[in-house]
Amino acid sequence: MLRYDSTSSSAGSSSGSLSSSSSSSKPPQQDIDGLLAGAGYKVRSSELRQVAQRLERLETAMGNSPADFSQLASDAILYNPSDLVCWVDSLLTEFAEPPPTCSSDFIVDPVNNQTVVNSAWTTAEPHTPQVHQNITYDEQQSLDNQLTVVTAMEEDSGIRLVHMLMTCAECVQSGDLSLATSLIGDMQGLLTHVNTVCGIGKVAGHFIDALSRRIFQGMGGGSVNGGSAFENEILHHHFYEACPYLKFAHFTANQAILEAFDGHDCVHVVDFNLMHGLQWPALIQALALRPGGPPLLRLTGIGPPSPDGRDSLREIGLRLAELARSVNVRFAFRGVAASRLEDVKPWMLQVNPKEAVAVNSIMQLHRLLGSEQTRNSPIDTVLSWIRGLNPKIMTVVEQEANHNQPGFLDRFTEALYYYSTMFDSLEACRVQPEKALAEIYIQREIGNVVSCEGSARVERHEPLAKWRRRLSGAGFRALHLGSNAFKQASMLLTLFSAEGYSVEENEGCLSLGWHSRPLIAASAWQAVPAWDNHMSSS
Amino acid sequence: MVQNHRREDHETGGENKEKRPKFFINDHVDILIEILERLDGRSLCVAASVCRLWCTIARNDSLWENLCFRHVSPPPSSVRSVVLALGGYKRLYTGCVRPVRSRLGRVRRASWARDEVQLSLSLFCVDYYERLGGSNSNGRLVEKSSPSSLMFLCKPVNV
Repeated sequence: MLRYDSTSSSAGSSSGSLSSSSSSSKPPQQDIDGLLAGAGYKVRSSELRQVAQRLERLETAMGNSPADFSQLASDAILYNPSDLVCWVDSLLTEFAEPPPTCSSDFIVDPVNNQTVVNSAWTTAEPHTPQVHQNITYDEQQSLDNQLTVVTAMEEDSGIRLVHMLMTCAECVQSGDLSLATSLIGDMQGLLTHVNTVCGIGKVAGHFIDALSRRIFQGMGGGSVNGGSAFENEILHHHFYEACPYLKFAHFTANQAILEAFDGHDCVHVVDFNLMHGLQWPALIQALALRPGGPPLLRLTGIGPPSPDGRDSLREIGLRLAELARSVNVRFAFRGVAASRLEDVKPWMLQVNPKEAVAVNSIMQLHRLLGSEQTRNSPIDTVLSWIRGLNPKIMTVVEQEANHNQPGFLDRFTEALYYYSTMFDSLEACRVQPEKALAEIYIQREIGNVVSCEGSARVERHEPLAKWRRRLSGAGFRALHLGSNAFKQASMLLTLFSAEGYSVEENEGCLSLGWHSRPLIAASAWQAVPAWDNHMSSS
Repeated sequence: MVQNHRREDHETGGENKEKRPKFFINDHVDILIEILERLDGRSLCVAASVCRLWCTIARNDSLWENLCFRHVSPPPSSVRSVVLALGGYKRLYTGCVRPVRSRLGRVRRASWARDEVQLSLSLFCVDYYERLGGSNSNGRLVEKSSPSSLMFLCKPVNV
């Protein structure tokens, strides 16, 4: 990996002068450490401890600035590694860690270099190490531009960023937009000193963007949520691949639906957000293999209308139908195109009273919440007509976060911690471009939570406890998800190579989290029979 | 373990007719199949490279079916038609069952054997569905490098 490039030719003259000036003092050769000498390194035994400490610091510095590392490998002038002391010192300088040297080292080292060069390199290569004290002023300047801030400073910068984000959010809440604006500028400056490839720098960058959008573009923020349906599907698919949250949601919901359909010959699943229909192949296969044979399966998929003449719902339906045909499951598909869930009316679903109905909502119910608690808010309307269908089971999977608080600062703080945890968990994903696109997917959510208000803000996540109250109040009772679902979820997580995921069971509901911070919760519900209060015609 | 078999010298076959008959495993395909049925996946792949006969036998899906359900009680007969429709046992084993087993090996519990196969089957089905998308769609959505739901498992070696 080490390269002697053309600049070493300029060093020829300087090293020549060095050798002439310092030939007087020669270190005693017997002081060279024997073991390292066998490996090709000439280090004096008296210096071993220093070298070890500096190597450790170098490792830390390298680990904290991976972006610069590759730059270093291609751009930097590198030194003779046989002389470990000088080599480590030089690299530490390039990482902005000034090595603690005393001048006597430099007088002696060039001689060491010289003797090493003469003895180690027997070929006629004109390589001579350029001692860094001979670097010209211009070269040092360009090296400075490649420098990163050392570790301690970087940690501080991360913490400072978080504090500044909170302060800025507070300013936004209180209306002090001028201070908020200047804070945005400061934070963007601070971002250049922090590693934005991973960790707090990356998340902070997204939150800074969202805040600045809120301040400068007002709270319509349409562009955040305005990606085309096609784009959203792609991002959703990559989010599905990159991390286990959606897989967990699908498999858990499928298990509950499978158990609820036991003994029924005509079943109907209503999916509130079909996307690519990735949830349903596994259910179709499980129904195909259930003892007693598969039922007649009807699937009604709700999704946004697709522009430019494509009927994406129908395409997905055809694919699922082909799969069902391959495994001999009688299957019928119906697509309902609606841009908002509250626009869907129950007659569009054409539910047959004799069939067992399952309603499946993966991260859709929160979109119906508004900030005001009015009597006939969309959520109440939708829940009441779901109840009217008398489903055997309703599976609800929602983000486990409180992003629907009225106060902006509270919401912002909660979102910062939630999405930091989620980005942390995403670090373990090693497949690209899935990871990058999954991050864009999450970024859009962040943008909506932070920079949108009113009807534009659809990401109104509420925690499981709130959903429990809401659903119980609407005439539903909770079904326990069962040990099979838990076992399956645990197995699924073990397959993901990251060690930090955990499944928890909480009064019959399962939640998936990262390092014991739950991020997504799955629950199952059934309509309570003979409930008259909310039976309003819709 | 692959059983060694020795090739007899055929030039001397005529002279040695009165001696006791030589044994050549390829003459006894039923025994060969019995042996190959008991191999593990990796050895089965290696066995497929021995000669054309072994290659043909090793490609037989029923051998891979045995591998999938080796430590599990025999599944209902409906499973076979489903698996064959979704791509066959060899694909199921190399794509799902083997990586699932090796990943879960660290935390394996005895009761999980059956569930491992069921989970593998579900993942296999999702993968089949995604492959369907590649052939049917207009190419905008799913291409060769499209995301596969099995990518989070090890990359299977296709023999």
